[in-house]
Amino acid sequence: MKKILLVCNAGMSTSLLVQKMQKVVAEKNLDAQVEAQPLANAMDKIDDVDIVLLGPQVGFEKGNMEKDVNGRIPVDVIDMRDYGMMNAQKVLDKAFKTMEDFK
Amino acid sequence: MAEETAKEKKGRAFLDKFAMVAAKVGNQIHLRSLRDAFATIMPLYILAGIAVLINNVIFPLFMKDPILTNAQVWGNLLVNGTLNIAGLAIAPVIGYCLSKNKRFDNPIAAAVISLAALIVMMPLNTEATLASNADKTAMVTGVLTFKNLGTSGMFAGIIIGLLATEFFIRISSVKKLQIHLGEGVPPAVEKSFNVLIPNLIVLACFGIIAAILSVAGNTDLITLISKMVQEPLRNVNTSLAGCLLIYSVGNLLFTLGIHQAVIYGVLLEPLLIANINDNMVAFAAHQAIPHIMNVSLVTSFGLIGGSGCTLCLMIATLIFGKYKPTKDIVKMAAVPGVFNINEPIIFGYPIVFNMALMLPFILLPVIGISLAYFATSIGLVNPCVVLTPWTTPVFVSGFLATGGDWRAIVLQLVIVIIGVFLYLPFMKVSEKVTARQMALENEEA
Repeated sequence: MKKILLVCNAGMSTSLLVQKMQKVVAEKNLDAQVEAQPLANAMDKIDDVDIVLLGPQVGFEKGNMEKDVNGRIPVDVIDMRDYGMMNAQKVLDKAFKTMEDFK
Repeated sequence: MAEETAKEKKGRAFLDKFAMVAAKVGNQIHLRSLRDAFATIMPLYILAGIAVLINNVIFPLFMKDPILTNAQVWGNLLVNGTLNIAGLAIAPVIGYCLSKNKRFDNPIAAAVISLAALIVMMPLNTEATLASNADKTAMVTGVLTFKNLGTSGMFAGIIIGLLATEFFIRISSVKKLQIHLGEGVPPAVEKSFNVLIPNLIVLACFGIIAAILSVAGNTDLITLISKMVQEPLRNVNTSLAGCLLIYSVGNLLFTLGIHQAVIYGVLLEPLLIANINDNMVAFAAHQAIPHIMNVSLVTSFGLIGGSGCTLCLMIATLIFGKYKPTKDIVKMAAVPGVFNINEPIIFGYPIVFNMALMLPFILLPVIGISLAYFATSIGLVNPCVVLTPWTTPVFVSGFLATGGDWRAIVLQLVIVIIGVFLYLPFMKVSEKVTARQMALENEEA
């Protein structure tokens, strides 16, 4: 089971994307779990997920987040276009690839 | 796109530099903790808004004195537990957030020390209003007053919380101050002892400062911060010009793909919240409303459909748009857009790095906020007195924020109509550019 954490400023717009990603996960029967958190709460979650995806509007937090996860898991910024289009499939594909490459 | 003129290149380099600096500011750990702390404590203020609304708008609809006065005790007590302790509550929360962000392993201890440090700084004797005669005040001792604990003490809470936590974390990392009880002592016991000495040092230092201020200066840090930091900042940043400037810089940042909270959440929002908190307290007490500019005015009239009032862009696109892909995005973004969540529009339409739409995105909130400000100051609409969540849909938000003034709905409608026509020409340009880009991409592919 892969746990994917999406983070944005208030956790609102990422929760939109998460909803769509969960649908894809259910449809394709993928072994994954997706959730959204605002930046303020992200710290409490990063220890039990497999990847952190930042909304592009908080992409500037990447450096901080990488320090926080301490090299244990990959941190990536979601592509602006994919984010705007709420392209759940593409975001999931990229997330799986990033986790794969990270090993 | 290939041939950029030298001027365009220069402009782009400037914007990149600006975005980088702003991101660095947003990344700064104390400012980030400030934003986190406000995000955590916001529900308390929103609850206060609901209580004030029920107390002062709903109850009077079907109650008369003396029942009304008795019923309103309920809302007044809720105001005490929320707005009147705004400073008291923010200190431990910001201490907690800072130590979390610093990955300090004992954040709850930092929260406790922040709270204690704030109280240490409170004056020994303070002015209080007499219960028997609201016009009369007296110097009292042995009490903490809402004046110091509430909104006017908010910056004191923030600054003292940050200082105490920073100091505490630094001292805690000094190895020599840690107590080792030897083998066989459970680590938890040792941990509890290790908090002891840093606790003592931090509070002792705060106590010394408080004592000097009290004895030599006949003052206290809460008053000093309120007078020398909070009030000047509030006067400048929440003036119409200051607010518009900071808000526009935040929105400019958003058009570069960085969340406007980086600027707004640090320089403006805390002060605008302080203003609405003051207004809510005044409204609950049937007093004159002190601040025209506040967070509810900004979100109700400058954030219609999200930053940049993009609801107007969506309407313009749906009615006048001819390019199907953007229309499809607008349809997808419609429901979140109603609740003022517009990242799909910002990144999907897109607005980021879309020169055509950057101008109305920044300009429209300026128009909306200015109109609301002038309409309020000449009495066309009631001032905003209730903190509404920024996710409240347009028309509902104006009505609730002004404590139930229908004219606020009319004003919002006016702004929406202006906005649709302001976005319209820029939307047309953007459509043409996007269509041409797509065609080029398809040719290449």
